[in-house]
Amino acid sequence: MSAVSPRPGQPPAPDGRTSLQVLVDEAARQLTICNACRYCEGLCAVFPALERRSLLDTGDVSQLSNLCHDCRACYDACMYTAPHEFELNVPKTLAAVRVADYQRYLWPRRVPKVFRGWAGVAAGAAFSAALVLSIAVTHGGWGRLTATTDRAESPYVFIPYPVLIGLMLAAAVFAVAVAGLAGRRYWVAVGGPGRHVGAGAVGRAVWYAATLRYLRGGGVDCYYPEDDRPSGARRGLHALVAYGFGLCIVSTAAAAVLQDLAGQPPPYPWLSVPVISGTAGGIGLLTGCAGLLGLKARSSGVTSFAQMTVKDYGLLTALAFLALSGLATLLTRSTAAFGMVFLIHLSSVILAFASAPYSKFMHVVFRFLALVRDNAEIAGR
Amino acid sequence: MHASLPARASDEQPLAPSPAGRPAPGGVQGGGDGLPPAPAWAGQDWDIVVVGGGNAALASAMAAEDLGARVLILERSPRHMRGGNSRHTRNIRCMHEANEFNSGAYTFDELWDDLCHVGDGPNDEALARFTVSDSATIPDWMYAHGARWQQPLAGTLHLGRTNRFFLGGGKALLNSYYRYARTRPDITVAYDAKVEEFELTGTNCRAVVASVDGRRVRVRTRAVICASGGYEANLDWLRRFWGDAVDNYIIRGTPYNDGHVLAWLYEAGAAQAGQERGFHAIALDARSPRFDGGIATRLDTIPFGIVINASGQRFYDEGEDVWPKRYAIWGRNIAEQPGQIATSLWDAKVSRLFLPPMYGVTQAGDIGTLAARLGLDPGAVSKTVAEYNAAVVDGSFDPAVLDNCRTEGLRPPKSHWAQRLDQPPYSGIAMRPGITFTYMGVAVDKDARVRHTDGSVFRNIFAAGEIMSGNVLSTGYLAGFGMTIGSVWGRQAGTQAARHVRG
Repeated sequence: MSAVSPRPGQPPAPDGRTSLQVLVDEAARQLTICNACRYCEGLCAVFPALERRSLLDTGDVSQLSNLCHDCRACYDACMYTAPHEFELNVPKTLAAVRVADYQRYLWPRRVPKVFRGWAGVAAGAAFSAALVLSIAVTHGGWGRLTATTDRAESPYVFIPYPVLIGLMLAAAVFAVAVAGLAGRRYWVAVGGPGRHVGAGAVGRAVWYAATLRYLRGGGVDCYYPEDDRPSGARRGLHALVAYGFGLCIVSTAAAAVLQDLAGQPPPYPWLSVPVISGTAGGIGLLTGCAGLLGLKARSSGVTSFAQMTVKDYGLLTALAFLALSGLATLLTRSTAAFGMVFLIHLSSVILAFASAPYSKFMHVVFRFLALVRDNAEIAGR
Repeated sequence: MHASLPARASDEQPLAPSPAGRPAPGGVQGGGDGLPPAPAWAGQDWDIVVVGGGNAALASAMAAEDLGARVLILERSPRHMRGGNSRHTRNIRCMHEANEFNSGAYTFDELWDDLCHVGDGPNDEALARFTVSDSATIPDWMYAHGARWQQPLAGTLHLGRTNRFFLGGGKALLNSYYRYARTRPDITVAYDAKVEEFELTGTNCRAVVASVDGRRVRVRTRAVICASGGYEANLDWLRRFWGDAVDNYIIRGTPYNDGHVLAWLYEAGAAQAGQERGFHAIALDARSPRFDGGIATRLDTIPFGIVINASGQRFYDEGEDVWPKRYAIWGRNIAEQPGQIATSLWDAKVSRLFLPPMYGVTQAGDIGTLAARLGLDPGAVSKTVAEYNAAVVDGSFDPAVLDNCRTEGLRPPKSHWAQRLDQPPYSGIAMRPGITFTYMGVAVDKDARVRHTDGSVFRNIFAAGEIMSGNVLSTGYLAGFGMTIGSVWGRQAGTQAARHVRG
């Protein structure tokens, strides 16, 4: 599929179109054939949304791409996949558009070179680790960090509470601001402003997201990892990741409540909300990520867009590492290793927040907004 | 791949019988020639060999396996093209009670009535009645074998009450069937396996000879089901009935339906059912691929404007009846015009009333310029449009019903949806006849056994699907009924063949 290879950031096509325009034109070509066929309209939200449009502009292509949950049922159903001369590959083409979207709506649009790719992750990790390590060493010295202990430690012996909160808040505010701006740009691009968005549309979007509705395909599950064997594995594992991640947030929030409202500083006993939810969440997240990484390694290359696959590996690896380091803080909190393990986890969390808007994590924002837009569109008919 | 089709199935003489008593070990002839090893299925004895890989073939294989038969499916195409014309289908028409997938009940009488009102009505009344009554149990049977249905939606061509839609369409249906077959140890599927001939003793088939990977393979079997489709992809066979007009026909479906098995059966004495010139054909965008363009290149613009031939003249009532009842007339209408080409014209006010044509449209601000861009005579086209506009009487336009917008004093008339072409930009698309499938096939009895011209039947040769649709249909067509014939007769052929094998 050379048709989807032009990539954002590459030189313009020979005919003067930008690489993004080449990509959008190719997606529009394929979707126009889909709109003349319509056999897939029962599979997901993409095809009914396509039927409500006749000429596709860049925003339409963006909206349809983010409405696509990559279940690949349409590829299984399509009579026009290569070697047919129409050469349709809708899952791959829409994935290519999403990769472009994950970049073009972001600020800054071009991430500084030093923070790009795996080398960029390493640079970010080194920067983040150096930051927390220098704070810890300044605060308590090397000795405190590696002292042996016979009871569960409070993390504040390494990093003072106000500093810890300050670091986390800074990273979180940055992440929310950048993601929010990207979401706003997406909403404008797909023609969201000016359209009435009712509570019903938002409610349905929340429900569809929470139930991972469109990872069911048309009811027969994703054609993933194998393209000829529908399986609920991806949906189940994705639920583990999503809800595991949610439980980790619950754990953090519960700890904040206990500490700041109930006046109970950490560490918390095994049978406490923060520890139980954090442990369950961490295990769910780790299992889900490991499972999805396993599926990805076995998945068909025909419908996969290589740059998206790289992003998938990046997010899954990062979340698995966060879960692993979080669980490790719990298991080591009565040992001499706790200080270093805690710093590793803390620096990973800071890095994760700061880099989330530039990762596949943004699918949460764009897909949710696409669902809201779609349900508002349906309600407005 | 199209160029590699045999030039003329009927010219390929059945190959001389192999030297008696000398089949190579494993049932393979030839060998020692550097070809890949013969497939494992070739050396086995089979209860039933199914020829073909579409809906009727899979239905017959699954029905036979349900009764305990060991079945070998020989699919002519490579795996990615499996499924014959079924991969381009979308729905099936069965009689039914009200249910969650249809907007209302559809009785035997109603379906029978619809069948009697297309073309010249059913060909063999008894077989047609069986098709209708047996269709009642088909949807549940399909579901049990892996089929999944689409929920009724607004956009399903007004067929939501009468027809069930396959979730994802015909290729998705066939993929589900092939996945089901994969779970059955007694069904084996071979791709790229072209059946060349059958070995007969009287009217009894002992073995099937196929070519696979360039070698001839002999497969012993106790029964054969021919579900290999029509011959619409064999242009030279069509040429015998249609002359050189076929050079301008587009074949909407698989390029593999060259009718080789049908021709072989005729040579062996099979009786013909269905008319030589019987086919289902619609108006296609003239830019369609020669083969396998399927559904996406059809045009639904005709009732909204006018249609002119190469000389710029109208030739048929574009508003005769609602489109779902009339779309299948236009293939033949265009086939009968000089050069087998016609052009659909419409103006801006109707341009959003039909599915957007996939190749785009030719447009201009006035009719003369549009005609020139379409390669037509601007003067003739402008005159035709002016005469048509002058004949339109005012009415209230409603595309959903037979409205009162019509022409007066015009030949041919436009009976409904007639509006003046007066709002630029004007649009046009050239159209060719697109053949969906042919009706001429083999005659069968109530058990789906192939009939012989001498009045007997072939003892263990059965037929299902397009290859015998001419027993049921004569000239017209009902949307979704080809899949009904394939499913009913596939199940019947599989069941009867399994009973024959089990004695």
